[in-house]
Amino acid sequence: MDRAIIVDGLVKDFEVTEREPGLTGAFKSLISPKKKIVNALKGVSFSIQPGELVGFIGPNGAGKTTTLKTLSGLLYPTAGFVEVLEFDPWKRNPEFLKQISLVMGQKNQLWWDLPAIETFELNRAIYDIPTRSYNENLKELTELLDVEKLLNTPVRKLSLGQRMRMELVAALIHKPKVLFLDEPTIGLDIIAQQKVRDFIYDYNRKYNATVLLTSHNMGDLINLARRVIIINDGKILYDGAFEDLIMQYAKEKIIKATLSNENNISNLEKIGKIKKLSFPEVVLSVPRSAAAVAASELLQNFPVDDLTIEEIPIEEIIRKAFKSEPKK
Amino acid sequence: MRKYLQIFKISFEEEFTYRLNFILWRIRNVMQIFLTYFIWSTVYSDPAKQIFGYDRTKILTYVFGIMIVRALVLSARAMDVSNDVASGNLSNYLTKPVNYFKYWFTRDISSKVLNLIFATVEFILLFLVLKPPFLFQTNIAVILAFLVSIIFAVIIYFLILFLLSSIPFWIPEIGWGSHFLVTVVIVEALSGSLFPINILPQGLQSIILATPFPYLIYFPVEVYLGNISGWALFGGLMVAASWVGVLWVFLNVVWQKGLKVYQSFGG
Repeated sequence: MDRAIIVDGLVKDFEVTEREPGLTGAFKSLISPKKKIVNALKGVSFSIQPGELVGFIGPNGAGKTTTLKTLSGLLYPTAGFVEVLEFDPWKRNPEFLKQISLVMGQKNQLWWDLPAIETFELNRAIYDIPTRSYNENLKELTELLDVEKLLNTPVRKLSLGQRMRMELVAALIHKPKVLFLDEPTIGLDIIAQQKVRDFIYDYNRKYNATVLLTSHNMGDLINLARRVIIINDGKILYDGAFEDLIMQYAKEKIIKATLSNENNISNLEKIGKIKKLSFPEVVLSVPRSAAAVAASELLQNFPVDDLTIEEIPIEEIIRKAFKSEPKK
Repeated sequence: MRKYLQIFKISFEEEFTYRLNFILWRIRNVMQIFLTYFIWSTVYSDPAKQIFGYDRTKILTYVFGIMIVRALVLSARAMDVSNDVASGNLSNYLTKPVNYFKYWFTRDISSKVLNLIFATVEFILLFLVLKPPFLFQTNIAVILAFLVSIIFAVIIYFLILFLLSSIPFWIPEIGWGSHFLVTVVIVEALSGSLFPINILPQGLQSIILATPFPYLIYFPVEVYLGNISGWALFGGLMVAASWVGVLWVFLNVVWQKGLKVYQSFGG
């Protein structure tokens, strides 16, 4: 098997009911619902090698989650070809399901009122995991994610970060070869995000697992994915190395500063391109390589109270990618 | 098989975490038995009196029989399926090598076992308090027929709940409305859990007997009492079996169609 995932010309249409606002709208939609076809995916093609870690990015509604759901057999493709580990996902063959896992940051599989260990035991039975490897996996996963002490706490008493890590244990207890992660760090604080990221990285390396993850979080992608696929409006805009994407579209960094007075303010232009100036806030855009020099110049020559250097927001990179010619 | 044993176990444990809920549900059952008992006890205050073909012993056995049959048939968890469908939690099961129908049927059984334990205790207590005349069935053939009718009842109720729970595939916001209408209003009225169906006028009776509902409570209890035997028993079991078949085929068609429109709402 040279490719773990093959997607070719995938199309997915949804039929949604539109509703006008207000009570009359509610009644109208009850009597004669207005149907509308939404084209979530308009011919998406890509393939992924076993052991690759690929980031899937795009704004809300771009079709990321729809793709993941189709790949894990939840959605029936309207048209196109999909194959995961040489299986047709929609058939939901038990042998296929035993080798994959889908983790959605906004959905829980853990039993809310019971300790997480109960869900793990249930999954052990569902996935038919031999006792010995179950014990090994459990020990390893709980250590990696640092949750050994929380196994017997009812899930509802765990913090969001702890719960997300438990979700990962539950999703990986059967050692899936293909892992679909949908917004795995949503709502987590920085430390928890880092823990989850480190873990995904280790898991991918250690078991040569194929990982496909979606995220809004630039940090997730910078730290994890070597290859990214940008999707917007149901179409792939970019598919390639992450570094190339940054080099190609994010040639600048953003410096945000707070000034204490308006002295010298007209000279700001010399440091970088002014994106926004409404005293005391100023936002400058400078070339990536010159960011450090620009920041120190700013600190020396201007009355700066506060200063940060930031990456261009992911949406802006996507917008830039969107304006350029999509390449396959 | 071990899969489903584990599901049974975890489901059983979960029921215990909702202790208060469970106790309130049992209290509701006991209250209902009390009410029905006193109504019929008053109607049949004269032990020799016979109305609608029932005497005091038979009607009170009917009322007490309901208690056990209710615990066996009407305690179920499968109504939670609609929540899974509407919230998109169904995805968690569809991506696992587990049969979703068997999963919920196992959970139903675990709920029934727990409820049966409590119903038995309540039965003994109420029996000691009220000292009703009660018919203890000793005919093995009748008991066997009763058990078969219970199995049909359990499956019919499971299928009805699952069908109701498929509605959110198309109307995700339906929530509790349909369940309330069917499980509370229709089932209570037509299953015979308030009164035996055969006290109704003949025409109405025949119509109700053609629906699946009386095979949930009324039919098993009547079989137990020995009021239905011979060809009537065979015919009744056939109707119940046919309903199992019809509902099963219907559910499979609906479910397959539902899965195709399933959009994993909320994500």
